[in-house]
Amino acid sequence: MMKLLDISKKYGEITHKYPFEPYKVAENFRGKPAYIYDLCIGCAACGVACPSNAITVQLNENKSKLIWEFDCGRCIFCGRCDEVCPTGAIKLSEEFELAVKFDKSAMIQRGELEVQCCSECGKPFSAKRLVKYSLECLSKANLGEKRLEEAKSYVNVCPTCKKTATVANFTAGKEMVIE
Amino acid sequence: MKCDKFIEALGQRVKILEVTRQYEDQVTALVELNDLPEAVRFLYYDMGGYLSTMIPNDERSINKHYALYYALSMEGGKMFEGDEIAQDEKCFVTVKVLISPESLVFPSVTPLVPACVWYEREAYDMFGLIAEGLPDKRRLVLSDDWPDNLFPLRKDAMDYRYRPDMKEHYMEPEYDFLRPEGSGMIDVPLGPLHITADEPGHFRLYCDGDTIIDADYRLFYQHRGMEKLAENRMNYDQMGYLAERVCGICGYAHAIACIEAAEKAINLEIPARAQAIRIVCSEIERLHSHLLNIGLACEVTGNYNAFMHIFRIREYSMKLAELVTGGRKTYGNVVMGGLRRDMTGHEIKESLRILHIIETQVEEVWDAVMDDQRQMKRWKGVGILDKQVARDFSPVGPNIRGSGIKRDTRYDHPYDFFKQVKFDVAVVEGGDVFAREMVRYMELKSSVSIIRQCFELMPQTAIIVDPKFHVKPENYSLAYVEAPRGENVHWIMQGSAQKVYRWRCRAATYNNWPSLRFQFRGNTIADAALIVCSLDPCYSCTERVTVVDVRSKKSKILTHNDLKAFSQTLKNSPMKDLK
Repeated sequence: MMKLLDISKKYGEITHKYPFEPYKVAENFRGKPAYIYDLCIGCAACGVACPSNAITVQLNENKSKLIWEFDCGRCIFCGRCDEVCPTGAIKLSEEFELAVKFDKSAMIQRGELEVQCCSECGKPFSAKRLVKYSLECLSKANLGEKRLEEAKSYVNVCPTCKKTATVANFTAGKEMVIE
Repeated sequence: MKCDKFIEALGQRVKILEVTRQYEDQVTALVELNDLPEAVRFLYYDMGGYLSTMIPNDERSINKHYALYYALSMEGGKMFEGDEIAQDEKCFVTVKVLISPESLVFPSVTPLVPACVWYEREAYDMFGLIAEGLPDKRRLVLSDDWPDNLFPLRKDAMDYRYRPDMKEHYMEPEYDFLRPEGSGMIDVPLGPLHITADEPGHFRLYCDGDTIIDADYRLFYQHRGMEKLAENRMNYDQMGYLAERVCGICGYAHAIACIEAAEKAINLEIPARAQAIRIVCSEIERLHSHLLNIGLACEVTGNYNAFMHIFRIREYSMKLAELVTGGRKTYGNVVMGGLRRDMTGHEIKESLRILHIIETQVEEVWDAVMDDQRQMKRWKGVGILDKQVARDFSPVGPNIRGSGIKRDTRYDHPYDFFKQVKFDVAVVEGGDVFAREMVRYMELKSSVSIIRQCFELMPQTAIIVDPKFHVKPENYSLAYVEAPRGENVHWIMQGSAQKVYRWRCRAATYNNWPSLRFQFRGNTIADAALIVCSLDPCYSCTERVTVVDVRSKKSKILTHNDLKAFSQTLKNSPMKDLK
């Protein structure tokens, strides 16, 4: 009994004054994923990787915007989104004080991205930024001038139209070119 | 090869229809339905096995039958010196039977091997398989108002999102507690929440005065249907995270066991560095879990001072986990094929510093606790788990090691990096609360040494292998991990489309509950909470207690604080004014 009191004396007061002074977390702490809208290209890699479906990337109701949505209430802080993001738009932060009072919508974060419509059928199929990002990647990929010009025309075509065009061209005996 | 010896011996006893090998140390023998009890008894008692898990499975889409797998860990009876199988012959032998969907009946093994009792009760709840001759046929897992003909784990039973309507609370059927015969007995319900763990579980203690004569309990108030969830919509990427959330303390052990079961079924070898870091993280988990339990064992008996000190030290282990994995509790770094996060040199250096603090301070506090005669009196001779009862019920972890049986998965079936690491298995004779806490203290020290060895020995390799793998449908395999509370066993049968067909997750405490009844007997009510706590079940002490005197029909409701105060001070017995 007295020994325990001696130990108390030896180590002194160790209680943190937590809410009144900040609590420092470890360097690589897995906190709330922070979203940088300006870097997001709407590729939906995070949405696919997320094991708990906290991140969804969907077109809105009238298909005019691509909505990136993160529900912190579902997040399990595994950091897979951070791993897969090609542009670093989502990174685990050091934030851990996530409680909200009554209003659960405060846990939801959204980002609206411009949609790219298909140059053939006019239906939205991707985000404008993703198309721009693909072109940037292609221009750095050491392609020939002609090939790059070709690419510029078909990045704006949706997968469905690409498919039908390819099939049509093949059956007509033409090479794979989309006019 | 390993296991052949046991299969040969079993073949002389009963007719074996088919032998299949899953992994180098895992073999399944298909036997006829009527031979099942004898086959399991023979392996359990004559050949020195312990029951690891039992898996009922709906295989109607594969072979038009239901199947039962009794997985036995062949390691020797360990009842006396030398009663142990040679280290390189230890293995898992699974006895499999097929049950026709028309009859749904199988002969119960429980009368011969008591350890099967919970598994066979669960087989009825989940699959409607009836164990003929099972002495205790009450529901185990599902609630008492669950519809009679709905067996959730059958493949055609229900969607995982479906919830049957609940009955109004007054319509709910009474659970039928097993009551010992005789007059003058007093029922003491302990629950619906345990006093120190704040998790639901209802204990009915039958007392004569203050002495407990017998006990019965109802658990699974928090059954979450994770197995059903995993079978229906999860892939292997998601399952590791789900398994990690099975338990709030030993979750990481579950994550490793679950992922390793899937890895073993396709014979995937992971890099040595990943193996070492998995061990490091699971030992960090052991540090904080054992510190928690030793702390609570002091708190239940009123020793707040020691409790506070132990929790102060525990904070270092939480910090250590945060440093190494980025999270205090959910480490989230296990994936198929290895790990997601490596350790840097700086992290290793910092970890070694924290380990040193934990080691020295634990020693200090433990010395002080050991010197405290009042604390020792509360621990010694309380809640004794008899060696023979332990042999019959296959408990795991510090619970069985405190009864002098040297059972540790890390030692019996070394997995991952444990083949390279040296450590002593903590075994203490006595079987009381003190022995179990002593085992935990000794394991704290060995954990620190294991982590240090891992840091020293781990090679500089990659931490993940190419995750391109193809699961083969209908392959199955066991994986076992020594969690802080004992061995966690996961069994996975793989299905098509990279999904699981059946996932059976057996947490350590599941094997410890059935023998608790024997540990209660002969102790006083004030020690009941301590005994439950010393099992380190996944929960702590009671919300409220009703005391009923059957003869005078008097009853009294105790609050959480009343019972806690009585447990801690041993003054003002709540039974006094009832007598």
